Amino acid sequence: MDPTLTVLLYSSLAAGTAALGAFPFVFRERLPITQIGWANALAAGMMLGASYSLLVTGLDRQVVRGAVGAALGILFVYWTHAASKTEDLDLNRLDESEPVYGYQVLLVNTLHSAAEGIAIGVAMIVSIPFGVFVAGAIAVHNIPEATILCAILTGRGVRVRDAGGLAVAANVSQVLLAVVTFTVISAAPSMLPWALGFAVGALIYLVMSELLPESYQQAGSTTIALVTLAAMGVVALLQGVGG
Amino acid sequence: MHPALVVFGYGLITALATGLGALPFAFLRSVSPKAVACANAIAAGLMLGASFGLVAESTQHGAWQTIVGATVGVVSILIAQRVLGRHDVEFGRARGAGAQRMLLMIVVMTAHSFSEGVAVGVSFGGGATLAVVITAAIAVHNIPEGLAISAVLRPRGTSVLGCAGWSIFSSLPQPLMAVPAFLLVEAFSAVLPYGIGFAAGAMVFMVLVELLPEAYGHARKPVVALQVSLTLIAMVLFQQYL
Repeated sequence: MDPTLTVLLYSSLAAGTAALGAFPFVFRERLPITQIGWANALAAGMMLGASYSLLVTGLDRQVVRGAVGAALGILFVYWTHAASKTEDLDLNRLDESEPVYGYQVLLVNTLHSAAEGIAIGVAMIVSIPFGVFVAGAIAVHNIPEATILCAILTGRGVRVRDAGGLAVAANVSQVLLAVVTFTVISAAPSMLPWALGFAVGALIYLVMSELLPESYQQAGSTTIALVTLAAMGVVALLQGVGG
Repeated sequence: MHPALVVFGYGLITALATGLGALPFAFLRSVSPKAVACANAIAAGLMLGASFGLVAESTQHGAWQTIVGATVGVVSILIAQRVLGRHDVEFGRARGAGAQRMLLMIVVMTAHSFSEGVAVGVSFGGGATLAVVITAAIAVHNIPEGLAISAVLRPRGTSVLGCAGWSIFSSLPQPLMAVPAFLLVEAFSAVLPYGIGFAAGAMVFMVLVELLPEAYGHARKPVVALQVSLTLIAMVLFQQYL
């Protein structure tokens, strides 16, 4: 298969798994807030594991370029939050508040997925198996993220089916950015260290600004720490064993 | 001079370097909750960056051993937390949760120095010519670790000298562990991935369970996220070049 098609396939699968996040709502109307916290921690841990894997691959290359790229990735996400006035937004409000909130959350999710798309695309350049590994980690982490999004949307009267669809739609930017990143870096391989760093920085910033802060208010900090660390350890271990 | 003494001396130098981490706090006086939050975020970034570097190195010796070590590290901190939580701890002027956090920080950083000491000793076994280079590298590595400890102690009322003292204390296992590791290189290099895993697990857990929740409680999310992520990247870069 043409490598670009491989990237398209795996990033689409990763985006598609978001639909599974709507599954709990088929059986029950609401999730307890502690479970939303666990979902956040699970997603945070896997994302940290993925950024660790990318970072380790980057250490074999030009580290300074990687670090500059990481700083740019961090500042880029910071800026997109600030420019869209979502930097202080509570991302897990389940109560009935103004309708605009649902759209803001969808926007934040779309920007979030875009950064993950860059991570998948860059990893595919490093090697296809490594790319599949990162896409897998992102795919699994999309499920708890989509569950949280669906909790917000269904709480606002969106049907479960539509909430699942919107969760996938919010991840379409992931497919787009994965393919674009892969194609561009294939054409200009010297950009790889920068892009690798950009993905690492953006992913870490997203964990610290979107996933972890809310989680500590939803469940005890010991539980959150354990879930995050376990998820991170599994991803890092799989990477370590796979070499 | 006996080579073991030389290793001990070099280990002592690396321990003393940790005290330098307290220096930037000579000028910090404010003890507002916001200053505590910022200091926590910086300490978190330093410790996460250090752990990333440690795990990357350790998985080359053995991924499973690293995970086993990390699990033991996390469980140890959980136990230490429970034990400290049962007593009304005091630390200098601080009491209660603040004092508990300060003590845990010292425990975690001291425990993590054991594996660094082993690393010093084992690498000295490779030949004394590299000795100075390795010592210099580890000594410089230790400065941000002192910074992380001081970032937790200083805003809660510990003096700069106290911060330097506790930073050096946390690195004392380095000269102590370097000597047996140097004398028994074979045995200790087998233990190394467990030790590094322990250090990384304990540090990441400390960050997630103590430092970050407090930081988010007293400062805005983007401020904490910026400080943690930029410090993490700076720490990785720093370690890679020294």
